[in-house]
Amino acid sequence: MILPTRMSRLTLIAGLLLVAGFMGAGRLGAQSNDDGATYVPPPGTVAPVAPPLRKGSPLDHLANDPKMESLPAGFKEGNTSGATYWVAHRLVDPMEGEGWGWVRKSGDGWGSGIWIALQETPGLAVAPHRKLVKADADLDWEYKFWGKMAGYKAYDPHLDEQLPVFILQGYEVIGPANPLSIKSGPPGRIQHRPSGASSRESRPILSDPGVD
Amino acid sequence: MRLFLTLLTLALLGTLTASAQTREEIVLTGGPALRFMEHGKGAVSHDVYWFNFVDASVIRLNELRAQAKPDELITWLIYRPGYAARGEEMGVDLLAQLQAKAKQVGANIHWFDSKEDLIAYLNKGLDRDKIKISNFDYFGHSNKACFLFDYSNKIDTMSIAWLHVKDLRLIHDDIFTRDAVCKSWGCHSGEEYSQWWKSHFDVAMIGAIGKTDFAHGGLPALSNSDGKWTQ
Repeated sequence: MILPTRMSRLTLIAGLLLVAGFMGAGRLGAQSNDDGATYVPPPGTVAPVAPPLRKGSPLDHLANDPKMESLPAGFKEGNTSGATYWVAHRLVDPMEGEGWGWVRKSGDGWGSGIWIALQETPGLAVAPHRKLVKADADLDWEYKFWGKMAGYKAYDPHLDEQLPVFILQGYEVIGPANPLSIKSGPPGRIQHRPSGASSRESRPILSDPGVD
Repeated sequence: MRLFLTLLTLALLGTLTASAQTREEIVLTGGPALRFMEHGKGAVSHDVYWFNFVDASVIRLNELRAQAKPDELITWLIYRPGYAARGEEMGVDLLAQLQAKAKQVGANIHWFDSKEDLIAYLNKGLDRDKIKISNFDYFGHSNKACFLFDYSNKIDTMSIAWLHVKDLRLIHDDIFTRDAVCKSWGCHSGEEYSQWWKSHFDVAMIGAIGKTDFAHGGLPALSNSDGKWTQ
């Protein structure tokens, strides 16, 4: 009688040990979830392949909508209903950075202009140049922008710079304007010199950030 | 009473089992660009394939799993917003697919949404007095000064989530084991990032001089004949 009892206890202990082990590991375990659809490449093909365009998606519109030479004054996209707007002046960065241009509040002068990275809202409002045949065809054009400044910054890997972000929610085309005489780039941009005279902290990162 | 004591003992044993793991192996995976942002860029259009970094990460995770000792945890850190947005663009749940992959390779998945999240995990996600990091691999976009977890996903050709060499000081300098193996598989890390890494952690990080290529599957290779790995 004693032997079976001991064996039962041992079995119980072993079982509980196993359970406790799982409980202990569970605190560090994976956040696993097996649901969700899985994209399956078409038969006979292997990844990497681009999945088919979703009809009506922002990418579908970008890829397939006809492009224009220029946008007509008064052309609108997105939410343009607010009384408060920003005036935006497009410039392709002469330093080859990725900034979009300047914005200023509608009642202010260009002295308070802010050099921005433009965060588009696909499906609502995207950068006006995406509708153009040439991406730089709106150089020195001005727009009314609706949206807001983001609470975070963007990093431009080409110039190792951080830029304020404007989140675009709507725009209206004003039209061509005279070039502005204010300095492009974010505050604190120095004129990078390839001589290496600039410091380690501020020198440009001119290498391509891409990896594939 | 006897049963209570047995259960108490077992609970303690369970705790000891978990805390006996003293080393952590980390694979850090950045997110892909949106096709919307990269449309029309021709040969320099990034991330046509959404899991280029993921597939390479899984290969490395399988290697780590095969070599892992009983006291080693394997953790997969993934920048969640990048895959959430790309999945939304594609109309598929990429996060669920990532979870399934983590389960397959036996890795603990840990999502992060920002640089701050990542740094918090590295510093105190686990008790770093007891569990040091013995392996670190990075798969994602990069330049010589940054790991770019987000790239061309929220803003065309820019990043809203990155870890700059100047941010390394925010990470405790004693999180690695003395014999830790670290490698960035991204572009250009060997040109500057590796030096800052070594300077801060006193642990070498292998990085590429030049670009690396994820496009052909497998672990990425150097793109150019004059490229090389350095540390």
